[in-house]
Amino acid sequence: MTATAPPATPSAALTGKPAKEAVRAHRRARLRRTALPYLLLAPALITFGVFKAYPVVDSLLLSFSTGSGTATRAAGLANYRRLLDDPLFWTALRNTGEILVVQVPLMLGLALLMAVGINSVLVRWRAVWRLGVFMPAVTGLVATGVMFAFLLKRDDGAVNWLLDAAGLPTVDWLGEPFWARMSVVLVLTWHYTGYNAVIYLAGLQGIPRELYEAAMVDGAGPVRRFTAITVPALRPVLLFTVVLSTIGTLQLFDEPYVLTGGGPDNATLTVSMYLYQNGFRYFDFGYASAIAYALTLLVAVLGAVQMRLVGDKDR
Amino acid sequence: MSHLSRRDLLRASGAGLLALAAGGTLTACGGSGPGGGQGGDADTGTVTVWSWATAAAALRAVVPAFEKDNPGIKVDVQDIGNPAIWDKITVGLAAGGQGLGDVLHIGCDYLPGYLEKFPGGLADLSGFGADAHKDKFAKGLWPVVTGKDGHAYALPWEVNPLGFFYRKDYFDRAGIDPTTLATWDDLTAIADRFKAANPGISLIGINKAANPDPDLDFVQSLMQLQGAFYFDLQGRITLGSEPDVRALTTLQHLDQAGLVADAPGSQGWATLMKAGKLAVAPMPAWAAHYLEAKFADQRGNWRLAKPPAVTPGGRRTALVNSTHLTVSASSPRRRAAWKFVEYALTRPASVNAMFNAGGVFPALLEAYADPMYAAPSAYYGGQSPLKTFAELATDGGDPTNYSGDYARALKLASDAQTKVFLKGGDPATVLQDAARQLAQQTGRTVA
Repeated sequence: MTATAPPATPSAALTGKPAKEAVRAHRRARLRRTALPYLLLAPALITFGVFKAYPVVDSLLLSFSTGSGTATRAAGLANYRRLLDDPLFWTALRNTGEILVVQVPLMLGLALLMAVGINSVLVRWRAVWRLGVFMPAVTGLVATGVMFAFLLKRDDGAVNWLLDAAGLPTVDWLGEPFWARMSVVLVLTWHYTGYNAVIYLAGLQGIPRELYEAAMVDGAGPVRRFTAITVPALRPVLLFTVVLSTIGTLQLFDEPYVLTGGGPDNATLTVSMYLYQNGFRYFDFGYASAIAYALTLLVAVLGAVQMRLVGDKDR
Repeated sequence: MSHLSRRDLLRASGAGLLALAAGGTLTACGGSGPGGGQGGDADTGTVTVWSWATAAAALRAVVPAFEKDNPGIKVDVQDIGNPAIWDKITVGLAAGGQGLGDVLHIGCDYLPGYLEKFPGGLADLSGFGADAHKDKFAKGLWPVVTGKDGHAYALPWEVNPLGFFYRKDYFDRAGIDPTTLATWDDLTAIADRFKAANPGISLIGINKAANPDPDLDFVQSLMQLQGAFYFDLQGRITLGSEPDVRALTTLQHLDQAGLVADAPGSQGWATLMKAGKLAVAPMPAWAAHYLEAKFADQRGNWRLAKPPAVTPGGRRTALVNSTHLTVSASSPRRRAAWKFVEYALTRPASVNAMFNAGGVFPALLEAYADPMYAAPSAYYGGQSPLKTFAELATDGGDPTNYSGDYARALKLASDAQTKVFLKGGDPATVLQDAARQLAQQTGRTVA
């Protein structure tokens, strides 16, 4: 900083003002210069502080309190102990885990196949196909839930009507615990497969054509080319989608909220829904905050594990 | 699939509300006048009233007479909407009364929670003389408006006694007179005869998967017929008690007898009713107008009787819910607000004007002397449903303490009921599990 500092103002020497005054003026000027960026950033920083940082910290503090309304009091670790003994929290966690294990691989596998399909030069009207697979991703989450609730109705839903017309047994999609969970998986897969396919498509287009041509010259078939070139080249993109989908599924809320309300008998209750119920149905904000932090911890741990297992170790 | 923004939003909102709550702690401590809180006791000015839908319309009907009799007081009735009104009142109370209306219309399922969670948020009306009206209302309602200190914090307005609406044509076809059935088990006993005469017709419809919302009104009614509920008047948990288990067992028996239809989703029950597939609607007073308006083509087929008891010789009346008018403790014109509440709810002329305007069945016993309660209805085959409800309200019921943990109890009870329907669960086991869980989550003791 000293290299760029301005020389003492000539006025100081001319007016015979003490050197101290000149130093002060110099400091003020320097301060103004260094403060300017912060000043310009201030609106964003203040907004971030008030609406992001403060709630995050306050929520942590809140997780150590109990009661609600004007009758809150400090509770130490009571909410976290309560969490460990709460069967509904574990049910929600198990449901979320089951949906995660079934839905994420299914969705990403389909997305990869879809991306390879719409990237192929053999397919005509590729732009239309690309638009088509991405369309569900732009549909609002609540609209999606409402639409599927309508389609999956037991007595007069379109899906059961089709099953019946095909001579197949109908299913109580939303009223039977197993099928309710499968309905959530179905909706998630419908909604997000195209979104992931488009990400894969971008990755596929970054793979040099020469690699495929060389492999073909060496006699590699389509499956060999897919496993030996496509998948390894897409590894960073795959990692990105796996981590993002895992985090998204762990925070799953909208679809089961609209579709099943967490039922039947909590079969589709997710951790985020349970958090919501405690916060905004039972006004138990301390406990809801503890659930939020348990979820945050889980997301962080799972994210780290995935980065370690799937991540590029050479980097 | 990122839901990051939602979680952050939830956190922000949660923290925001709690910050308001913390502010409320500081501001709700002061006290002045009989109402408590930091408001004032002015008896003039404009009184703002918060209500919803037809009830708001009903309240407006009494305003002209009140303003004429009370010069200096103007009344502004606002329709906040339901359920929006609960969020607005909660946030207002959490903010120490900031921005609340002077008079608040509150249901029995929210009132105890507000008293518990926002002490000092509602005005103590005993100081204004509310206790003088104690015996004017349906028996069983006064404990609902009374705080732990024994003071009144509201006056009852609407009461909903449980009724037993039935399809006379269906029962006639089976040669059964439902008014002779004294208990719900008597209905189970006639199941085969009823079903043989009415193939495809069920007695009641319930959303068995409780999906997406709980469907517990019937079981709650069976509890209330026995003077029981999820909590006793001291706030202890009674969810696994003998009467509660008996209530769920009664439903299980009806289901096993093939009398309970599954009504999936939020529209399932209405769909069954519209198709004429249900023979009974165990519903409270508000349903008298509702059935008539919603299922007009079934005119002349419905009748109303007192509900059967749960046990032989047991009570055949229950007050399943009620709504009340309260005064905000932070109101600067509490006395003026109280004058309006007293005027609207303790005079037969006022409550009946409101009943005519909004269909809110009054809790004021003197109101039932009006001839309109005896008027016959063609929809009910010339019977007068209002007369039956007036008799049921006069008989009264045991008070119900919804407490501040009603929402949590309702969810756990709903899960228990679903276990009985979907997994053949034992009512005693599932309810006692639910009671234990409720105790673990709320810190309340099991009675």
